[in-house]
Amino acid sequence: MLDIFSYPFVWKALVAIIIAAVVSSVVGTFTVLRGFSTLSAAITHSSFAGASIAVIYGVNPLLGALALSFGFSGLTAYASSTNERKADVVIGMIFGFSTALAVLFLSIASTYTAAAWSFIIGDVLGVSWIDLYTLIIVAVAALGIIALLYKEFKFITFDPEAAEAMGLRVSAYHYIMVFLIALFSVVAIKVVGVILAIVLLIAPAASAYEFSHDLEHMLVISMIIALIAGVLGFFLSLIFNIASSAFIGIAVSIAYLIALVVSPKRRKCREIAKCRIVKEV
Amino acid sequence: MTPVVSTRNLSVAYGDRLALEYVTFELIRPAFLSIVGPNASGKTTLLKALLGIVEPLTGSIEVLGYKVPNDKYKVRKLVGYVPQRERIDPTKPVLVKDVVLMGRVAKKGWGRGLSREDYEAAKRALKAVEMEAFWDEPYVHLSGGQQQRVLIARALAVEPKLLLLDEPLSGVDAATQDVILRVLREEANRGVTVIMVTHDLNPLMELSDYVMLLNRTVIAFGKTHEVLNEELLAKTFMRRISIVKAEEKIIVSGVDYHA
Repeated sequence: MLDIFSYPFVWKALVAIIIAAVVSSVVGTFTVLRGFSTLSAAITHSSFAGASIAVIYGVNPLLGALALSFGFSGLTAYASSTNERKADVVIGMIFGFSTALAVLFLSIASTYTAAAWSFIIGDVLGVSWIDLYTLIIVAVAALGIIALLYKEFKFITFDPEAAEAMGLRVSAYHYIMVFLIALFSVVAIKVVGVILAIVLLIAPAASAYEFSHDLEHMLVISMIIALIAGVLGFFLSLIFNIASSAFIGIAVSIAYLIALVVSPKRRKCREIAKCRIVKEV
Repeated sequence: MTPVVSTRNLSVAYGDRLALEYVTFELIRPAFLSIVGPNASGKTTLLKALLGIVEPLTGSIEVLGYKVPNDKYKVRKLVGYVPQRERIDPTKPVLVKDVVLMGRVAKKGWGRGLSREDYEAAKRALKAVEMEAFWDEPYVHLSGGQQQRVLIARALAVEPKLLLLDEPLSGVDAATQDVILRVLREEANRGVTVIMVTHDLNPLMELSDYVMLLNRTVIAFGKTHEVLNEELLAKTFMRRISIVKAEEKIIVSGVDYHA
């Protein structure tokens, strides 16, 4: 088993998975808390379209994914910063339109089957050095932005109304947050594919939420879940010769299911002695 | 003398629905103003207009010497704001200290860390609302009244020139009301302009310097004892309101707080 580490593609794949796990857990935490799950699905699908167009023109698909997901995330951010019903419709339209674009361009491309399949289910074992450098740059950019604006994001996530009233440019931060999801989608499309990107983004953070009363704990727990699921899924895929995205998707979904069952936040006290008392002033 | 807060013929609409119509008032110097009116009378909209969150359809606004909405970000840097507690999802994973420090975050440039001074201001504010023992407690573990105090502490922590509060007395017990009103009165005495939106008239009698009765437009604006009379209240709430004196206290009855 240890022999596999003598192959560079295994190391590259493992590093890519670790990058995807770290970025997904950090970006996913804010995505879950702000209720951006549907919006994220639309953006990951637009990165699918971007990657497909890039295939036609012989450009690195990750750059295509980056370009189109940025464009569509701007539209999505605009729609979601206006009224909720309009946002729902626009996000749904972006979801459908970008998928249609992807199908159109992949149908035109001669490499249709292989390329489409790799974008849909990921191709972590096919990560090239250029892909890896791109993932590292994108991940550093995403994590750097979050580190720089962390306190502002925390305020806006908790209480956007007061954040706006007390001087934060909530609309600008909203756009940045949505662009971060676009950055994540670029990382995810290569590692787990467009379909499972959303579950990698949402499930670790949603699981961590069940055990956290402060944001820092939620980030750490989310990262641990994503890393364990990522690395475990990768090794299982090597053993069983099945796409790693399948195992990663199943692992994070099981983690969420377990979190729901054992969540301390959902616990009900059945005896007075076991109930929590609100501390008096 | 430049007024602290003034509006002239201010109207605001949401789509085709008029929320405020020709609202004119002026606070010459720092004071405690309560804005009173029934639901959907434009109270919250007026607060939002003062901050430039909603754009005026007609009229002009001046706050702390700045024109709004042109200089809205300059105004917002000087403001402590308390939203309606019900609009916040208390299950978001934050601690009490996180919430109180958020106010300080808003006043700093991006990327600038919190200093010892920020922490001290946050602790002082939490102490003012008698919640200092809850510094490390999860926000979700607090009762509604305790959460309200924490939100007020967040607004106090920024050491504002203008405090805007949207229904801070809603759904809290008498003891919490006393703490909130005492703190607000102290802030007003220190020269902070306090503007509070409320349904609850009774606590205002002794604490508020001025009262505005609002029902889409200003029904009355003036010193508290001049404005709170049965005729003006009936005109504002569109129903009969009784004012009775009991043991040196004036009590208003007949306002349906949940209407």
